Amino acid sequence: MRYGIYIVPAAIVLTLGSLACKPPKTAEQIKAETQAAFNEGVQAFNDGKARTTNPYLNDKANPHKMQGWSDGWDKAQADKTAADKAAADKAAADVKAAADAKAAADRAAAEEAARKAAEAERAAAFKAATDKALVNIHFDYDKSEIKENDRATLQGIADFLKAYPAAKVEIAGNCDERGTNEYNLALGNKRAAAALVYLKTLGVDEARFTTISYGKEKPLCTEAKEACWSQNRRDEFKLK
Amino acid sequence: MPRFLVRTLLCAFVASGLWAQQTEVVLSATSSAKLVLAMTSPKATGLDDTAVATEFTAVLKRDLDESGVIAMLQEGLPADGAPTKAWKEAGAQWLLTARLSKSANGDLHMEAAALDTAADKGVFTRTYNANRIVPLRYLAHYLADDLVGRLTGEKGVASSRIVFVRQVAPGVKEIFQVDRDGAGLVQLTRHGSLTLSPTVAADGRLAYVTYKGGAPEIWGQRRKDGPHEKLFPTSGAGSMLSSPVWSPEGKRLAFVQGDRRGNSDIMVLDLATNRARRLTDGNGINTEPSWNPNGNQLGFTSDREGGPQVFLMQDDGSNLRRLTGEGLYNASPTWSPNGAMVAYVSRFEGKFDLFVYKLGEGKAYQITTGVSTSESPAWSPDERHLVFTSNRFGSSQIFTTDLSGRKIVRLSDLAGCQSPRWIRGR
Repeated sequence: MRYGIYIVPAAIVLTLGSLACKPPKTAEQIKAETQAAFNEGVQAFNDGKARTTNPYLNDKANPHKMQGWSDGWDKAQADKTAADKAAADKAAADVKAAADAKAAADRAAAEEAARKAAEAERAAAFKAATDKALVNIHFDYDKSEIKENDRATLQGIADFLKAYPAAKVEIAGNCDERGTNEYNLALGNKRAAAALVYLKTLGVDEARFTTISYGKEKPLCTEAKEACWSQNRRDEFKLK
Repeated sequence: MPRFLVRTLLCAFVASGLWAQQTEVVLSATSSAKLVLAMTSPKATGLDDTAVATEFTAVLKRDLDESGVIAMLQEGLPADGAPTKAWKEAGAQWLLTARLSKSANGDLHMEAAALDTAADKGVFTRTYNANRIVPLRYLAHYLADDLVGRLTGEKGVASSRIVFVRQVAPGVKEIFQVDRDGAGLVQLTRHGSLTLSPTVAADGRLAYVTYKGGAPEIWGQRRKDGPHEKLFPTSGAGSMLSSPVWSPEGKRLAFVQGDRRGNSDIMVLDLATNRARRLTDGNGINTEPSWNPNGNQLGFTSDREGGPQVFLMQDDGSNLRRLTGEGLYNASPTWSPNGAMVAYVSRFEGKFDLFVYKLGEGKAYQITTGVSTSESPAWSPDERHLVFTSNRFGSSQIFTTDLSGRKIVRLSDLAGCQSPRWIRGR
């Protein structure tokens, strides 16, 4: 027991000493701890905690943790700021794009309306010109010669076709009820052809006409008198 | 010109009395050149007496009257059981007896016999069977046709039909068919557009022009009872087409095609090859072709010498000659079934009348005369009558006439009719 007074304190000293003098941390450990503290900092920021709540402020032994936590908090703050800014920028951009699109649509609608108005005007003008130009011409009984007073009408049709180069016209020859059905079909064909030939001499391409004969099958007027017959002996002009 | 005058004067008497109303001349039983036939009351089983009287006896009487060769004795008839001698004394040359029966399933059966009263021996006997879809009146038509056939050697036309065009709405015309006595109206086309110029081949195939596609096209049946299909043009469209007419053997179709210079030409389409050949020379209007019964000549209307006149030519376009001489407007030629006559219309004093040109005599005879217009003649298959249209009662209706022009009968009261054709029904 005499040596006990040496051994016990020595054991205590050794024990405490071994406890106090832990081996120094490796670089990996420091890096891992720093990363962990960094993540905690990020989490703390996301949880809404202040920068001053850094739990490692007084951990003088582990300054890397304090730094890591602060870095994490700072990074999270910076990320959030950037994200907020991006969102704000995007929202602003969206608003602007919507405004631009609406302006463009309005512009297009206005253009369309203007175009339609112009088209309607053109159509109205075309219809007016059509109605004015495409009027019937008439023939003497069993004849297919163009009459003197129908020349102005045919000139009008030629002028109309020159003014509207896309227009095509069907010439329909018709007869009065006197004479046979079949002969009148041939006579109607002759009357349509007479107008076609005349219009050709006025400088209109004959490819712009089709001819058809209805003979005496489509009378405008069905009474058996000259006033009626003279109306029925006609060429009708129709847009094709 | 004297021809016109004589006719006009002659018919002035008739016109004053008859033309003003519906002219149905009732034949006197004793009129000359007609065989006088009497009939004992038909014996019927399974049919009631009223039906027999209206659907058989009356129909047979009208058929025989319209035949123009047999007259039915109506007055002073002996009792049904009287001896042959009594019938002879009453004026009957033939005595007809008919026994009719209708079986439980509706089929009809008839035994008919005729006796020559002078010789007191049978001249005709025949049995008829008809299934239940055949109306009783058709048995009367068949009997009338066979009696006429026995007498003249050519079957009558009581069972024949008229095919014609009728307006069903403004701008819409369709083809119809009606029995020769005006009964049994049937609509043959439903194109809903202008449909014109029907022609019926000997085997019953129809062809016509329709505007259903806008421009006219020729439609018809390539085979008997076949569907209606486009026959011409095979491709494209646009030119004027009219007047298709089957050739007598039914293999070719004459028709008219117009060009954009105003000419119209007679063409012949060969149905076997689908090839069309032009027969006329693009010189003005050539239309209304009509075949002769041999199918080797065509009559047609042409304005090559001024107004419309009737011309004849071979079916290759050669041997062209003008047929009609008098008048400024002669058109619508139709060759008679035996080829000896050509019916046509001629304008005189602003209206149209029917004429018949006898090729053997080289002379034309006027058939109709009146204050109205008569148009579109077509021959009956037995050549004894013409069917035509006339506006004598206002709208254009269908009439028939014998070749004397004295027996004009309105076919039906249908209005707005044109282009009648007369075809055999069986």
